This record gives sequence, C-alpha cells and structure tokens, in this order.
Amino acid sequence: MVKKKEMRRSFPIISVALIGCLLAISFVLPPGSAQARNIKVGIIDCYSGPAAVYGKDALNGFKLALSEINKEGVLGRKIEWTKRDTKFKVDIALNMAKELVMREDVDVIVGTINSGAAMAVSAAIAKKEKVPFITWISKSERITGEKGHRYVFSCGENTAMGGKAGGVALSKRPYVKYWIAGDDYEYGHALANAAWRNLKALKPDVKLIGESWWKPGEPDLIPYITAILAAKPDAVIFCTGGRSMTNIMKAVKATGMEKKVPIWIHTATDHAVLKPLGAEAPEGVLGTMDYHFYYPDTKANKEFVKKFVAAYGGPPGFPAFHGYITAYFIAEAFKKAGSVDKEKFIDALEGMKIESPVGEIEMRQCDHQVVLPMFLGVTKREVGKNFVISTDIVTLTGDEVMPTCDEIKKARKK
Amino acid sequence: MDLGQTITIPALCSHLLVGLSRAMILFVVTSGMSFVLGVLRVPNVAHGSLYMIGAFSAFSISTLLGGGSTGFLVALVLAPLVVALVSLIAERSLFCHLYEREHLMLLLFTFALMLILGDLVKMVWGPDYRSIMAPELLRGSATVFGAPFPRYNLFLLIIGPLVAIGLWLFSNKTKIGKIARAAAVDREMVGAIGINVSRVFAFAFVFGCFLAGLGGALVSPMVSITIGMDHDIVMDAFLIVTIGGLGNMWGALVGSLIFGITQSFGVLLLPQFAIVFPYLAVVVILIWRPTGMLKSVW
Repeated sequence: MVKKKEMRRSFPIISVALIGCLLAISFVLPPGSAQARNIKVGIIDCYSGPAAVYGKDALNGFKLALSEINKEGVLGRKIEWTKRDTKFKVDIALNMAKELVMREDVDVIVGTINSGAAMAVSAAIAKKEKVPFITWISKSERITGEKGHRYVFSCGENTAMGGKAGGVALSKRPYVKYWIAGDDYEYGHALANAAWRNLKALKPDVKLIGESWWKPGEPDLIPYITAILAAKPDAVIFCTGGRSMTNIMKAVKATGMEKKVPIWIHTATDHAVLKPLGAEAPEGVLGTMDYHFYYPDTKANKEFVKKFVAAYGGPPGFPAFHGYITAYFIAEAFKKAGSVDKEKFIDALEGMKIESPVGEIEMRQCDHQVVLPMFLGVTKREVGKNFVISTDIVTLTGDEVMPTCDEIKKARKK
Repeated sequence: MDLGQTITIPALCSHLLVGLSRAMILFVVTSGMSFVLGVLRVPNVAHGSLYMIGAFSAFSISTLLGGGSTGFLVALVLAPLVVALVSLIAERSLFCHLYEREHLMLLLFTFALMLILGDLVKMVWGPDYRSIMAPELLRGSATVFGAPFPRYNLFLLIIGPLVAIGLWLFSNKTKIGKIARAAAVDREMVGAIGINVSRVFAFAFVFGCFLAGLGGALVSPMVSITIGMDHDIVMDAFLIVTIGGLGNMWGALVGSLIFGITQSFGVLLLPQFAIVFPYLAVVVILIWRPTGMLKSVW
C-alpha cells in the first residue's frame, strides 16, 4: 500500500521530467534532422490486369521526372515515392490510399486510371483527411467538375475536354445523322455526353438516330458494327477506352467500316492502341489526343522522348507525359510553398504554370484541372513506318476544349 | 430511334451469321471445359487462363515466324500444343493429387491456379496490348445479305463444325474417347476393368485444355491480346456449360449457339441493352430446365 502511494506521488514528477527531457532533446538536436525527411508521394494505380499498360507508362514518366528533379532536390530534400496496386478496384484503391496516408504519412497521393476509384479516393480520403490528391490518367470530368474540391487536382485531359474536342471537330463537318456507341461504364457515357452536348450546342440540327453499349473489353464487336451500318448514319461516335480500343479498331478494319462511314473515336490516335495493330489499323479514323511522342515537333518534346527511350526502351505514351508533368507540378509547388505543408502546397499549385514537352501548361485555379491542348488528327500509315500515326493534326487550345470556370461553378452547385 | 429501320430479313440473316461465328469460338472453348467437367468432375476456373495463354502463344509464334499467313497457320497448330504442355505439367504435378477432393476445394484450387497463371502471363509477355493479323486471304470483309461480313468470321463458321465433327469422331470412334465417355458416367467401373484411370484423366484434362488453347489461338486475330482476357471468357463459359448441361460436350454447342445468337439478335433489336440478352436467356433456360438443355452427366 505504501509503495503504491509513493508511486502515485512520484508519477507527476516523472512525467514532468520526461517531458522536460524530450523538449531539451528537441532543442539540442540540429534543425537539419527534421529537414532530413524526404517529400513522400504515394501512388495508387493499376499494375495488374489489362489497364496495367497505362499504369506502368505513367509510373515510368513520373520516375523519369523525379530522376531529374532529385539531382537538385526540392527544399533540400528529395522526392521519394511508394506505389500500391489497386487492381482496377475501387475498394482496394480506397484501402491503399488510406494506408498510404495513415501508415506511410505521404504528403501527396497520385493515381489512378480508374475514374470510379479516383472519385472514391477524392471524396473519402483526400477531402476527409485533407491530403492533396492528383489524378493522372482517370478521365471522368466529374473528378474536377461537379465532384471537385480543394484537395483534388487532375494532370490529365478529361472526358469534358475529349468530348468537346470531338464536338468542335464534328460540328465543322456536314454530318447530320449520328450513332453513338461505346463501353457501358463511366468513361464511355461521360465521353458520349460531352461530345453530344457540345456538338448539339454548336450545330443544333444534328440528330442522334441510335445508341449501342457493350461491356468494357467485349471481344466481339462485329454484331454492333453490322447493326450500326444497317441504320446508315452520316457519322459514328465511338466512346471506348482501354483494350476495347484495339477491339473496336480491329472490328472497324475487318468490316471495312472506315470506308463506309466517317468515325470519330477519342484516343483513336493513341500510340498504345495503334502500335500493336501495326499495318492492320484502319486509316481515316478521326481521333483526339493530348500527347503524341512525335507531335508537337518541338525541341522540348524531342528531348523528353529521347530521355524516355533511353530509360525505358520505347517512346512515351500519354500516361507517361501525364506522369512526367505531375512530378514537375509537385516539385514546383513545394518549392513555391517553401515548406512541406499540405495547405501551402495546394495554394502554390493553384494557377501554377510550368514548362512541359507540349509547351507551357497551367493548373487552372478555379477547378484544379490542368489546361492541355488537344491534337485532332486522322489515322494514316506513312511510308517507312510499320504502324499507323496521327496526321493532318489540328491543335485545339485548352481554352477551346475546356468547360469555362462559370460552367464548373454551376456544375458544383447542382 | 426507328427500330423498324434496321430489322429486315437480310439484317436478321446477317446477324444470325454473326452470332453463329461468335458461337463457334465459344463452342471450341466451352467444349473443352465441359469435357473436363464431365470426365474429371473438375470445375476448372483456370480454363480461361489457358485460353489466354493460347492467344499469347499464337502471338509469339506468329511474330517469330514473321507475322505472315504461314506464321498464323503454324500458330494455330502449335499454340494449342503449348497450352496442352502447360496443362500436362499442371495435371501431373498438381491436379492428379486432388481429384478425390470435394468440388469446393477443386474450385478454390483452380481459382488460385488462374491467379498464378495470370501473373505468369504478365511476367512472360508483359502488360502491353498485343495483336496479330489474320492471313491475307481472311482479312477484310465480304458482302453477305447486303451487309459487310468479315472473312475471318466465315473461316470460323467452317472451323467450328469441323471441330464439332472431330469431337464426335473422337468420342465415338476412338478407344480413348470411348473410355473417357465411360469414365464420365462411372469412373469406378472403368478402373475396375483394369484401365489406368490416372492416364485417362491426364489425357482428358490435357485434351480439354488443348481446346481452350485452340479457342485462344482462333480468337487472337479478332481481339486485343491482353492480360484480363481470361476473366472475360471464363464467366460466359461457365454459364454456357451450365445451360447446355454440365459435362455434356454437345450441351456446350447448344449453350454456345444460344449465347452467341441471343447476343447478336439483342444488338439488332435493342442495341442500348444488348448486354442483357444472353444473360436473360440463361435465366429463362435455368428456370425452364434447371439441369440444362441436354442431359447433364453430373
């Protein structure tokens, strides 16, 4: 009993002494030891399954940029990264993002190709835990549109931009009767809505004569094409992504559809789609992209491609470009913020402009969406190349293809 | 949308042909799955992975031989043999110890095998999309019933019945085929009359997987060859063998025809909701005939 009483009396004294010691240590230790902590970026993306090809490319672009950035460092530190495989699943992406924030204590989260996962992480982790989240391949316009908030940014083009680019391009052509078809998921429908909304606004007499939707990755698209051709539309808008892109291009070529009816497919001119098809890719298909390794033909782009090829043995795709600019936005924002503080980082990133392989690009302040130009082109096989490329490229500036800040405000109020 | 605009007799005939050609690929794959189900009682979830390996092997062989017509034809023969070899290794090292286990265990085991094979494919071929071209003669389209019909699909309409005839000859006219059929009905009796059941099982498994590989090789010029194509086929394949009659190879043919044709007509009738039609057919058949269209051997 006596011992217990003594312990109770001495407990406050020991506690005060311990706190005093800790304070003393913190004063004695040089400030450099606190600065030694590197800036930590947590990556959530798909590294297994069909979408892995995009995840890997984005990561390579990000790694290449970091190898350049870390030579000088940022605020006397290096930027380090750790990645988690979401397996294209929303629940896994959420768990991984949570783990990165809680256990790894990351300063920024980046990823992912899955729009559903991106929106879930944006709402449940980034907004709730107040951690900046930068998406780099997911294309749903809702991420920085109606579901946007202070803690989410996008370093890639989205369905609003792709759809508007398609709408603008098609409005200048004489077609009236349209058929829309595509993958029956968020990306397909969002792209279709954006393309049709803009086309209808620019050319009110256009008419939608039919729609068809298939499951993403559907291997046999011949029946869909046969039905579309039977309806005799003036032009067709295909809203497909990922591996469905190769499937639709193959089906178009097999049926000779490209010779019978004009077709617009956002990302039809993507090298990741065209390269495996080789000479088998259909020519004359209208497509839009925000990056080509061969366009724009500028010194900055050539240098980026040269470095990428030297590091990874092949040219960069659009995900690599997005990964590359994401790393530079992160580095520059921390430099501007002057400290590894998440709120200051966000303030710095808003409205920031950086130089990129496609010229100067801006992280728009009003919606945290990167302003990127879109390259409208037509698939064509050039002499001496064993794959099809985008030709007759017309550049649509970011301002031309992006929703205005007022439109974003309206969408967020809904 | 004016539906009557597209539904005409030529359009129906054209879609029937498109549906039949899709059914042929499904039949080649599911007949193998049904054979393994019938003889070994193994619900092989990894069947889709072997189909994927067939497609990737066809790509490698075709590319190795220059990617021309000869390359594709050689790949069509060799790719299923590569799959057969992979399945022989899996059967002798793993499956042969597990046949007596209950179905749930086998289901879990084959599921694990599917994941392992999926990762192996990623390690060997990488995550990039792959594609091969059909031979020159089979590229492009011909006009059938006033609509463009890919020549390759016409080729499938020839190959499918040939495979069906081959399967019939094999199961009715060869000794090993007859033994396999007997084992499907009563495996104890087959063992009791002195036949080496283990060898019969090994053969049946490898033969079923060979058909998966052949399906993969046949589909390779039509689609993007990529990791994940195993998941696409395996669910449909299980539904087909279920509606056809578990373990009945001809049931697989009936199931494939139902699946392929309902999908094709669904696109013509209601393109916005075409995905639903084959699955709706599955629901109707399972309510009408819970054990499938033909006699189940289970």
